[in-house]
Amino acid sequence: MGALAGERRITYDARGLAEPTADVPKISEIDGTGARFDAKDLSTRQINLELRWLLYEQGITDVTVLNPGAKHSLGVGILTRCRITFDGSLGYFGCGLIDGPEIRINGRVGWSACENMMSGVVVIHSNAGSLTAAAIRGGDVIVKGRVGARTGIDQKGGTVIVLGDAGSMTGFMMQRGRQILCGNVGPGLGDSMYDGTIYVAGKVKSLGIDCVPGEWNESDTELIERKFSVYELGTPPEFQKFVCGKKLYNYDNLEPSERKLVL
Amino acid sequence: MSVHEPEKKIAIDAEYLAGRRFPYQEDVALVEDVDLEAATPGPDLNWLEDVELLEEDGVPAVFDRYSNSFLKIYFAIPEGRENELARKVLITHLRSGNSYGIQLKEKHAKFPQPKLGPWVAGSEAVGTDWQPPKLAGWEPPDH
Repeated sequence: MGALAGERRITYDARGLAEPTADVPKISEIDGTGARFDAKDLSTRQINLELRWLLYEQGITDVTVLNPGAKHSLGVGILTRCRITFDGSLGYFGCGLIDGPEIRINGRVGWSACENMMSGVVVIHSNAGSLTAAAIRGGDVIVKGRVGARTGIDQKGGTVIVLGDAGSMTGFMMQRGRQILCGNVGPGLGDSMYDGTIYVAGKVKSLGIDCVPGEWNESDTELIERKFSVYELGTPPEFQKFVCGKKLYNYDNLEPSERKLVL
Repeated sequence: MSVHEPEKKIAIDAEYLAGRRFPYQEDVALVEDVDLEAATPGPDLNWLEDVELLEEDGVPAVFDRYSNSFLKIYFAIPEGRENELARKVLITHLRSGNSYGIQLKEKHAKFPQPKLGPWVAGSEAVGTDWQPPKLAGWEPPDH
């Protein structure tokens, strides 16, 4: 009985795991198809409930979240075309599992931002932690600062653009997609990658297993110039291209069902 | 008594899941008007950049990642337009709600979400009243 009484007292878990009494706060100021709300006194689940209520039930297409306070797991599971602005930093697993939104984060993000993203655009105006854009399948992730280790681990599509430096094991087990890294990169770049393309403008500490320099072609130039243009990133620097050497793994040897996992 | 091996099918395509073929797989005119850039977030093709014309069972096909199945294309594809038409067929398929992954949402979505995802504005919400399934005849214990 004592334990049960204890559980009943729980009203908030910073990880968003246990929040039994969360209701939609409905505190937003709504103006036409735009809305804004202050997240300072809201829990993770309340913030996400408010976002979904606005986007799915109120016909709102442009939301600004004030004072996100680096809370974890904000803006996850948004499955519609919309614009979201977080006016501050996010904690870990921010903006994961999204399909469609265009998100702007005016601050830093913790690890695993944008993980498993299907489509959309996320622009992070400062630094991002490790595992940024883990396992993304599509969409664009732009980090204007630096990123930690294993950016784009298990990446299955999409484009990751980092204006600053990237940590170790960047592009680890990358399977498809593109990474455009404008700064220096730590050791183990593209380790065990299956496919995909990594462009690096700075120095590479060391290449990972089966990551080799690639041959530059016109489509590489078109991609770099287009992405720099659409996101107003200025004149692109000169890049080196890295691809999979195809010595470690080859899709031709995989079963059809395994092949589908990366399409 | 006869014994039959269960059907084993490795290559699952959209027609197999739906039990029928769709008109836009056979008529290019039904997909020509799709605006790909308008259909995707951001100022360029976004996620469609990774979608290319592939082949399944010897037939041109595009992969629908939302149902883990290939959508075969039966109309003649002009040279140089392979990826463009594959993308247009896929977007038409997703917007129509015929993708098996979208059909599963009505039954299994556990939280409110637009049925047609990011491809159709103002799509109806599903998952608003999901209840965990109950095993017939089973009651939870008192403690």
